Amino acid sequence: MNTNEGRISKISSMLKNKEASCTEITKKYLSEIDKLNGELNAYVNVTPETALEAAAAVDKKIARGEELLPLEGIPMTLKDNISTKGIETTCCSKILKGYKPIYNATVWEALKAQGAVLLGKTNMDEFAMGSSCETSCFGGAKNPHNTNHVAGGSSGGVASAVGGNIAAYGLGSDTGGSIRQPASFCGIVGLKPTYGAVSRYGLIAYASSLDQIGPITTSVEDAAIVFDAISDYDPMDSTSQGKKQSAAESLKNPIKGMKIGIAREYLEGIKDDVKDAVLNAAKVYEELGAEIVYFDLPALKYALPVYYIIACAEASSNLGRYDGIRYGYKTPKYNDVNDMICKTRSEGFGKEVQRRILLGTYVLSAGYYDAYYKKAQNLRGSIVKSFRGAFEQCDVILAPTVPMTAFECGKAVSDPIETYLTDICTVPINIAGLPAVSVPCGFNSKGMPIGMQLIGNTFCEHTILNAAWQYEQSVGADIFKSAEMGVKL
Amino acid sequence: MVTHEDILQIARLAKLSVPEEELDALTKDMGEIIEFANTINNASDDGEEFDNINNLSNVLRADEVVPSLKSEEILKNAGDSENDHFLVKKRVL
Repeated sequence: MNTNEGRISKISSMLKNKEASCTEITKKYLSEIDKLNGELNAYVNVTPETALEAAAAVDKKIARGEELLPLEGIPMTLKDNISTKGIETTCCSKILKGYKPIYNATVWEALKAQGAVLLGKTNMDEFAMGSSCETSCFGGAKNPHNTNHVAGGSSGGVASAVGGNIAAYGLGSDTGGSIRQPASFCGIVGLKPTYGAVSRYGLIAYASSLDQIGPITTSVEDAAIVFDAISDYDPMDSTSQGKKQSAAESLKNPIKGMKIGIAREYLEGIKDDVKDAVLNAAKVYEELGAEIVYFDLPALKYALPVYYIIACAEASSNLGRYDGIRYGYKTPKYNDVNDMICKTRSEGFGKEVQRRILLGTYVLSAGYYDAYYKKAQNLRGSIVKSFRGAFEQCDVILAPTVPMTAFECGKAVSDPIETYLTDICTVPINIAGLPAVSVPCGFNSKGMPIGMQLIGNTFCEHTILNAAWQYEQSVGADIFKSAEMGVKL
Repeated sequence: MVTHEDILQIARLAKLSVPEEELDALTKDMGEIIEFANTINNASDDGEEFDNINNLSNVLRADEVVPSLKSEEILKNAGDSENDHFLVKKRVL
């Protein structure tokens, strides 16, 4: 069995041992992006000047004999809803085409300070609303394991780039599964941190009480390194708390005696191949000395409608700012200010975004607020409480990430409700503000990756990544297998 | 049951204009989505008001004057601007 080596650790050691310069490695990535992006549609904006400038600075530092920081010189990407000063940030929406932020998101500021090499901005569902990346105004990103299939969403571009080896790692955002679901579809690792662990300053808002930024990587260790680098308290985000413990330090702890819980509700309605792969992972954990405990989580039953009500309510408010006056698209022909705002929004937003704004406006409007929004908020409380109860019985919850493997391109957009159902395993985690990591746990008969989630109690990223790392060591590169394309290191 | 009038009323509140030819399809989609949202009415909750997740309280930064963003930078992204201000069509009649 071959062990899986992450791209970050590999490039770091190459730079330290002077096997290649940072500029050489960066050029390799840029040239593979050139070759593959036509097929994968992972990047919507490639930034070679920014990348090569950062790489040259790293090479100078190496020449001076200075020690490199963990993420220094590593070529990476950001989802196109993370603000980058002077670099177009569109949320893959027509309404923000041409928009260049005048400040950096805190996460990008932190990575930049570490000498990260930004290769470009990656594709996503418009305003992160979707599960296939196909609501993007640039068209969807493709799955590197089979380009007839979607990369998933909404952070589909990051997952496609990292899974296709045209970025060493990337940052996505997760409101209802948008990091974990594409990571699962593309056979890589995706971490959604605890609400408040990572600053949201500069993340273009979808649903503020659910949104979190997190890493998408090829190994568990890489995810821990990136999480540690971006999870600091930020005075610019009033919900920011930072991490309570470093994830990288406890990665290799033994997990003998760890209690891994399986909620029976999480195995209902799941495709057989996915369910079998998750249950096989449970066996691996038993062999590693963990104890598997089964329990019920009945509150999960209403998680999906609760999520859509809360997320859309917050979105309808957050997206009120797009009026054609301060930034972004503005309709060319109009009668008065009101007409200009309405036309700008209807021409600038795609169909799915407009549907969600309408649902959000509906559930917040007079006469419906108590029946929908208030009721959903109360049920959110019940979901939070049932997870609290679950963590009295176990340390980590094991569940599928998505009920199925990546669907074929074009299959997701026809029926909104059917598409919403793919989020059933991921949304409860955002509702409860918990951390969860999706890691590969097998392939189906057609060679498409299957992912599982390890869910932790609040601010226990170190526990879930520890459990994930032990699993990765046990199954190795047969399961953690990236697609045969892109940069070979 | 969601009607055309309902959709037009919500759209007015949301400042979206719905083209005549899209009204039927949108009403159907919204009807299905709202029906799906209705399933929460079958759930019993303990009636306890939900405050916030993770018992977060606002983390406020020190009340100190720091440099703010420059208006000429901000206006670079604006559709129209004049004399350091955003420009919109006259609204008061």
